Amino acid sequence: MIKLEKVEKIYQRGSERVRALKGIDLEIERGEFLSIVGPSGSGKTTLLHILGCLDTPTSGIVRLDGIDIETMPEKELVKIRREKIGYIFQQFYLIPGLTVYENVSLPLTFSRKERNRSEIENLIEMVGLKDRINHKPNQLSGGEMQRTAIARALVNNPEFILADEPTGNLDSENAEMIFELLKSLHNKGISIILITHNPDLAQRTERIIKLKDGIIESDQMV
Amino acid sequence: MTTILFSYKNLLRHKTRSFLTLVGITASIAVLYSIISFNKGFEAGLSKELERTGLHFMIVPSGCPHEVASLVLHGAVIPKYLDDTVSEKIRNFKDISLISPILVTQLPNQIHNKIDLVYGMEMSHLKNIKPQWNIKGSIPDNDEGLILGSEVFDHMKVKIGDTYSYGDKKFTITGVLEKTGSQDDAFIYIPITALQKMLNKEGKVTALGVKVLYPEKLTEIIEKLSNEIPGIQIVTMNQVMNSISSLASSAKILSLSVAIIALIISAVGVMNSILMTVFERTQEIGMMRAIGAGRNDIFKIIITETILLTTTGGLAGLIISNIGSGLIEDFVRKFMPYVPAGKILLFDYKIALFSLIFSIFVGVVSGLYPAYRASKVSPIEAIKG
Ligand SMILES: Nc1ncnc2c1ncn2[C@@H]1O[C@H](COP(=O)(O)OP(=O)(O)OP(=O)(O)O)[C@@H](O)[C@H]1O
Ligand SMILES: [Mg+2]
Repeated sequence: MIKLEKVEKIYQRGSERVRALKGIDLEIERGEFLSIVGPSGSGKTTLLHILGCLDTPTSGIVRLDGIDIETMPEKELVKIRREKIGYIFQQFYLIPGLTVYENVSLPLTFSRKERNRSEIENLIEMVGLKDRINHKPNQLSGGEMQRTAIARALVNNPEFILADEPTGNLDSENAEMIFELLKSLHNKGISIILITHNPDLAQRTERIIKLKDGIIESDQMV
Repeated sequence: MTTILFSYKNLLRHKTRSFLTLVGITASIAVLYSIISFNKGFEAGLSKELERTGLHFMIVPSGCPHEVASLVLHGAVIPKYLDDTVSEKIRNFKDISLISPILVTQLPNQIHNKIDLVYGMEMSHLKNIKPQWNIKGSIPDNDEGLILGSEVFDHMKVKIGDTYSYGDKKFTITGVLEKTGSQDDAFIYIPITALQKMLNKEGKVTALGVKVLYPEKLTEIIEKLSNEIPGIQIVTMNQVMNSISSLASSAKILSLSVAIIALIISAVGVMNSILMTVFERTQEIGMMRAIGAGRNDIFKIIITETILLTTTGGLAGLIISNIGSGLIEDFVRKFMPYVPAGKILLFDYKIALFSLIFSIFVGVVSGLYPAYRASKVSPIEAIKG
């Protein structure tokens, strides 16, 4: 469970101060499938950073299963990112020199976990890329790259998947495929937090958090 | 996937850039290895050569210690002479087993229109003074014969038995000194009495080589000789070696500095090349941090890249310098005033190991800063959505 209490985030850009989040109170349970929506610059990505322990708030408290993350050493945070959270980015961020298989297994290099080949192959098969397993990213379509990234996010068996506009660079057909994939992961018990600009997709999640100017404008169950 | 494999694949993403960086490291490690092994081979060759001369010390007219070194090793022309009275006096000392006169000069060779380097010596002493020499043909047993150094022989297009003349004086070529790889190859060896007659320098010598009966009494004998005979200087083979070593050491320091500078430049090249890729990969590194890489993981990946580059370069440099050692040696012999005979650049596993460890070290040093910069990349760099 993730709980935010009066979370503020202020970016200092030279002499200019940007208040990206202005007091966020939020509770997210295990197993939720929620979407974060809102206009550009409203603080969606900033909020996701904080939910994923990639960044710390300027003020306020972030609790992970009740523990204030500010009291955790950096090492512990790295471990949480490694073991509990899987990230998916709008720009996919696959490593160009590596095959689909190698890209998917990259997080294992950092988590020092062992997975046998068939487990990884099963993951790749699940995202529908069995026949692309030895392809490099430049031989893949956008949708295939994002599906590779999803398999990569799953390789450490995370509890949460955080996805920042994963369909933003895809056509509607591929976007649909990615969304269905996320939904099937949710059905397997993984919590999904999805930033999207697409209101139709947001409507198909279970909870919609609408941000505006760094505050939560609305938080509703669908 | 291991860090090494991952780093290796990262390097392959910029094949040209990695290759060019590699070339720099390869070249500088090759230079470093060659210089160190040359220096070592030089020392070893020098002491071997001196051991083999079979003489314990040289007596020369006083006042030219450095020239003695070059005299012993490749025959410098010293414009001062000792005369027979000195050798008579020495002969009266006990414990002396051999006194061998040497007269070094240059003679114009009208037929080939060049200047010959000529070494007058007592032919019957040859086996004693130059035990390592191999002579094709025979050693002259009278004043009418001479021996050619291999280089002279190759240039002249003559054969054993031919006549070789200076003005009116005709010699027969009785033998040829087989290639020694040293400056001895460039000389013509003439019986000393014949040479003295030609030059009107009867009884005069450039130096006297002396061999004693009991080497352990060397200091005693030298002291006695220099006290009792005026106008001479005694130079032992140890002193000769030291003075050659000191002549060579400035060249050594210079060449080592050049190698080190080359290495520093190529290390900066490695650093620059990897730092560039770190900047280009900022978002990618941020992504890796977001998917669970710790700062130390990133640090390791980047420093492994530089170590891979420099170690590969080091290995390639070692292979190249060992394959090319013959060429390098010929090249150096052209420029050094004195290089001992025999092959100088032999494979030396200690120096090879040192060079390899050194190239790993260079990889670590040049990788520190790029790896540090990379490890500072924040995970939020990736998500600029
Ligand atoms: N690293 C940063 N330094 C300074 N300001 C930042 C930084 N990141 C974000 N901001 C600012 O904070 C505000 C919120 O940014 P954020 O990226 O969270 O918005 P967003 O809702 O994700 O927008 P978009 O839909 O365009 O992705 C914006 O005004 C942005 O310019
Ligand atoms: Mg955003």
